[in-house]
This record gives sequence, C-alpha cells and structure tokens, in this order.
Amino acid sequence: MAWVWFHRFGSPPWVYGFAQRWAPWFGAVAGIAMVVALYAGLVLAPPDYQQKDAFRMVYIHAPNATMSLMVYTTLAVSAAVGLIWRIKVAHAAAAACAPIGAWFTVATLGTGMLWGKPMWGAYWVWDPRLTSELVLLFLFLGYMGLRAAIEDQQKADKASAVLAIVGAVNVPIIHYSVVWWAGLHQAPTRKFGADADMAWSMVWPLLLMLTAFGLYFVAVFLIRLRAELLRRERNASWIREVLA
Amino acid sequence: MNEFFAMSGYGKYLWPAFALGFGIVILNLVLAWSSLKSARAQARRRLEMQS
Repeated sequence: MAWVWFHRFGSPPWVYGFAQRWAPWFGAVAGIAMVVALYAGLVLAPPDYQQKDAFRMVYIHAPNATMSLMVYTTLAVSAAVGLIWRIKVAHAAAAACAPIGAWFTVATLGTGMLWGKPMWGAYWVWDPRLTSELVLLFLFLGYMGLRAAIEDQQKADKASAVLAIVGAVNVPIIHYSVVWWAGLHQAPTRKFGADADMAWSMVWPLLLMLTAFGLYFVAVFLIRLRAELLRRERNASWIREVLA
Repeated sequence: MNEFFAMSGYGKYLWPAFALGFGIVILNLVLAWSSLKSARAQARRRLEMQS
C-alpha cells in the first residue's frame, strides 16, 4: 500500500505534470542559494594560509566535480532501472541526465585547469584524477552519441543503458583516484566534527554551494525530462492534453 | 576594491574560472529550455497534422 505512490513515477503524464510544477521552485531556491554562497565564498570566507585567495576556486570547482559524479550515478541507476523493470520514464530520465552531466564535467575540467596552473604550474597533467574525469566526459559523450546513432527507441534505450552501467565502474575510480594513486591532485579536505580540516567560515559557503548545485541540477533535469517525454511519447494521447 | 579583484594575485585565474562555471550554469539552463521549446513545437505540429 505504501508503495502505491511510487508507481506514479512510472507514468509519463504524471511525471510530466510533476516536472512542470516543481522545476521553477527548485530553480528559484537554487538561484538564491547560489548567490548567497557566491558572496560568502568570495567575500566572507577568509583567505587560506597556504593558497591565499586561490583556494576560493573550491567554491566553483568542487560543486561541479561533485555534480559530474552525482549526475553520472543518477544516469547509470536510471538506465539500470529502465533496463531491469522496463520503465520508459527511467530511460527518459537517464537520457535527460547526459547533456547536463557532460557540461558539469566540462566545467570541472575547465575550472580545474585554471586552478592547476597557479598551484601546479601546468594547466594539465596526466594525473589519475584528471585523467579519469576526462574519461567521464567521454562516457557522457559516448552515451549521447550512441543514443543519437540508433533510430529505434527501444534499441537505443537498451544499448545506451548497457554502456551507462559498464561506464559506472569509472565513478569509484574517479572518487578514490586521489587515495589509491600518487598524483598531483589533493585528497578531499573536508572532514567534520572536532578534527575538521577546514574552518567553518570556509566550509559553510561550500556546503551551501553544493546544495545549490544539487537543486539546480534537479531543476534543469526536470526541464530536460519533459522534453524527453514529449519526444518519445509523441503518439500518446496525453500529449494533446498537456499542450492544450 | 582593487584588492578584492586582484585576489592576492590569483584574480587572473579565479575570475575566468568563476565566469566559466557560472557561464555553464546559465548555458545548461538555456539549452534545456530550448530543447523543451523545440520538443513542444514538434509535438504541436504533429497534432495539427493528425487533426
């Protein structure tokens, strides 16, 4: 009984309506949180004792990097759900994730390069973290390319889902690359509690920016999901009602 | 104010990074909107053809 509400998420018209109602709210809260976090990160947080003001890169680099992994995970899980339970909405959700995640990955690599130059002396090094993040970009692009190349919707769903699931092996590799292998990229700084490695005045803008990016992703994802549902359900009768 | 923009000498890396990051934030939103708009237009045309 308690699971009945969950089944609605398998219904394209219900999901379309849900996405339409909620995207603006997620977007508005994300926008406000981003502005506050940006001000806090650039103005309120004190400069770092080693990196001086260059540490502020963390407020744009880390949220993008976190999202690139979160979005890929969401994509792979959605694709797996679609493949196992044959839920069309799940395949649509996976497809909606791909371009957003690809852009987060581009932003991660770009901001990382701009942080790498002053800290390491080079825009790019074949460090395990950087290399595996670049592979993530290729996975997003490969997933989109594969979907675009297969005309038949069901075949495209299946083939791209398999690619997405196999590619998920890269997610823990990226995450643990800084722990497993010696490279230039630092290991995570964030720790909480008494032995925190970062002052609260530096941490809270980061946590707020991470939250803002999460909410922002949901907003953009819901818009893309609507587009995806409209395209794949083009022969369904509910389309007439939502466009009226 | 100049001190703020100089960012202890790292401004020339910091500001492009923030411009890139938030530029992509805006771009992602714009691309999603335009994708939805074209999907809606496509669906409308289809409905008109059917009726």
